[in-house]
Amino acid sequence: MSSKLNIKYWLLLVPTLSVALMSFSNPARAVPSFARQTGQNCVACHAGGQFPELTPYGRLFKLTGYTIGQRELPLAAMAVLTSNKVKVKTPGTTGHADDGKPIFNTASLFIAGKISDKVGGFAQITYENYTGDNAGDSGHTGSDNLDLRYADRLIDANSDLIYGLTLHNNPGVQDVWNSTPAWGYGVVPGSTGAGDGATPMLDGALGQQVAGMGAYAYWNKTVYAELTGYRTGDGIFSFMTQGNGSQINIKGTNPYARLALTHEWGPHNVMVGLSHLDVQQYTDTTSHSGPTDHYRDTGIDFQYQYLLDPYTVTATVTRIHENIDYGTIGTDPATVNSLRAKTSFTYQAKYGATLSYFNLSNTLGADSRGWTPEIFWTPVQYVRTGVQYTMFSKDEAAANPKASDNNTLLFYVWGAY
Amino acid sequence: MKTATLTLVLALAAIAAGCTTTENSSRNLGDPSVHGKTLAEQVCSDCHGITGDSINPTFPRLAGQQEWYLISELKEFRGHNRLDPEGFEYMWGISRSLTDAQIKELADYYSKQKPGASDRPKNTQLENAGKVIFTNGISSEGVPACAVCHGAEGAGSGQFPRIAGQHADYILKQLNVFQRSSEERADASAMKVVAHNLKPAEIEAVAAYISTMASK
Repeated sequence: MSSKLNIKYWLLLVPTLSVALMSFSNPARAVPSFARQTGQNCVACHAGGQFPELTPYGRLFKLTGYTIGQRELPLAAMAVLTSNKVKVKTPGTTGHADDGKPIFNTASLFIAGKISDKVGGFAQITYENYTGDNAGDSGHTGSDNLDLRYADRLIDANSDLIYGLTLHNNPGVQDVWNSTPAWGYGVVPGSTGAGDGATPMLDGALGQQVAGMGAYAYWNKTVYAELTGYRTGDGIFSFMTQGNGSQINIKGTNPYARLALTHEWGPHNVMVGLSHLDVQQYTDTTSHSGPTDHYRDTGIDFQYQYLLDPYTVTATVTRIHENIDYGTIGTDPATVNSLRAKTSFTYQAKYGATLSYFNLSNTLGADSRGWTPEIFWTPVQYVRTGVQYTMFSKDEAAANPKASDNNTLLFYVWGAY
Repeated sequence: MKTATLTLVLALAAIAAGCTTTENSSRNLGDPSVHGKTLAEQVCSDCHGITGDSINPTFPRLAGQQEWYLISELKEFRGHNRLDPEGFEYMWGISRSLTDAQIKELADYYSKQKPGASDRPKNTQLENAGKVIFTNGISSEGVPACAVCHGAEGAGSGQFPRIAGQHADYILKQLNVFQRSSEERADASAMKVVAHNLKPAEIEAVAAYISTMASK
């Protein structure tokens, strides 16, 4: 397809999609089924209506088990069209399906909503049209993020205690702040993320590979504490990990602990948190026995948010340090560090900009460092289109030896209903 | 695997337990049997605070608000008659299935809360200018004194809401709503006339003063 045809394609596609979505007869009922359940607009739970940054109310909605509102048909759908352009295309460049062409990237079905007074959930099934395949023609469906909850709340004029259980399949997906990797960075499907840099376990390596059962409590909107155990997502839990390729096998129950302090004043709210994940993964990935590689991740994260129409600002900083002791005798231990920061801004819940920074350093020879500015527009609350450009100053493991040759432009159109 | 099965069974048992009606901690906005006080605690408190003393100025302070006014507004939201942006973005859905009895219980709950601390004075000159408008109005512009209807202490009465100690940003935005349209707040058509001639600086001043008025 020539570049002229590409432009024509988008010129036709974007308005067509927008008009199609705007033509739904129920205008104020935002994105997926949660909005239909509460009857509220996206801005109630998401800062400036953008995804995924949650407002304090959105966090409480999640912590109370997605149970606010009234039961509705718990179905919603999402589709993402993208087009990316790598500065210098090299065979083997990862994560850039059909470079230079507009593609239908992913589509998701959500089963999400209130089940009972104390139970609710969120399950995403995603069709990936490319599955990271550079040949660009390998479509695949698999289970995506999942979080089922039981929650209760003891509240009176003097104290407020929310507590609950969560069953989920991605460490961090259960968190309600956007400084955890699961909801913080590179969440637009097709995003370049941190390039080919090595990331710690907490940064998605166990996503849709494990089953986690956790207990949590949030006291007086001040202290959040959580303890979760993760095990291999096979057997009876395999519904949480289906369709995601080779199964990672981890030994027994692997603990994750999370502590966060929060405070809200006027239009501002802030959070500072700690997290720790301890995972033993079998060195032989096909085995359930034998030596294990031991990963210990410790994270500190921070979030600041300003919410007052017409402006919202959400800023996050996340630092994760990982020690790896390999089970193979003679293999030296390794360390993996990740520093990420992101600030997103919206105006009138329509116009937005994001700037994110990543700096991954490790002993594996896979450092990466760079910036990703993004601008986006949300003409109606269930359509968003944006452009982001990732600039690398370091990308050691990339196919292009010169970091800046991996710079990538991404255009996307996101729609959900 | 036995442990895994046991875990899943326990999870399913928790779900089953959650299916039972939980009158004191339900967040079900579509169940008429849930008491308004429970909804105030479990749902409304998320934005308006457990005692009606909200933190973010997007959400009005409700503690000690006039019961008549609270009932009126909840019915306006439920009937989709209040069209100001925050009204339909946040409140239409929340109120859509409330019964008259629940609305009465919610109004009773918030009207009986003791108003919290008002804002601390920040700009004396601005607040003093607002106090003059609040107390005397602006006769040359045909703006009546706020105190005439809302009371000298801003505590309101019946259909006239309490405004003392309300968030300045909320007052400012509502005055702008009154000024630009009589449709967005049809219930407050009188305020269209009152606010019509207010200049932006005067709105800012009176909002600043009202937010600092000590609640009585």
